[in-house]
Amino acid sequence: MIEYIQSALLIISAILILISAIGLITVPKNTKNAVYARIHIVGVFDIACIIAMIGLGQYLLAGIYFIIAPFAAHAIANAYWKKEDRENNLDLVAVEVEPDYNNPFIHPKDKFGSLETEESGKLKADERFSVTTLEIDEGE
Amino acid sequence: MDILFISKFIVVIALIIMMLATLRASAYKSTSMGLLGSSAVVVAFAMALLVGGDLCNLGFYRDISLALIFFGFVGTVAFAAVLGGDE
Repeated sequence: MIEYIQSALLIISAILILISAIGLITVPKNTKNAVYARIHIVGVFDIACIIAMIGLGQYLLAGIYFIIAPFAAHAIANAYWKKEDRENNLDLVAVEVEPDYNNPFIHPKDKFGSLETEESGKLKADERFSVTTLEIDEGE
Repeated sequence: MDILFISKFIVVIALIIMMLATLRASAYKSTSMGLLGSSAVVVAFAMALLVGGDLCNLGFYRDISLALIFFGFVGTVAFAAVLGGDE
């Protein structure tokens, strides 16, 4: 009788492992939050492994893995959320750089864009800007 | 043939398929997917060792799979902590 229970547990775990393998591959690449979906699918695989361990009679191993598997899944999801999740994290996308107005080689767009008027598009390229940074003293 | 013997073989075949699937999944572009795939493939390998040791009546396979599961978890959490940063 125990043999039948063990084999039933093993076959159930094998079915769950196959389902998770198919699901892990067939998640579309462009789906929103695909990495979280894959972490979720690996959770199914973890539980299937625990069922297989119980079927094999390794109760201590099953208990240890039952405790540590959610920690690993949470650690991976947390690392992805902090550094790579650009879909849900606007902080990772927006990079604010303070322009250095004192640097003579950097011309910020908001400063020099205001010099351009509406009619400046009709002018020639040389006449559009009359600002120069060079001061030539011809007296020397 | 014994049904328990057959079901163990079925589990080993399913684990091999899962290993191939996780290796494919670990090749996606983000680093987290590589971490996830490597941690899952280690667990699948440890499970395959456990079933194989049970098939061949070898005791030390269980110790090796316990070490693989435990240190795979430690490595996964450590890498995830480094990837996530200090904030």
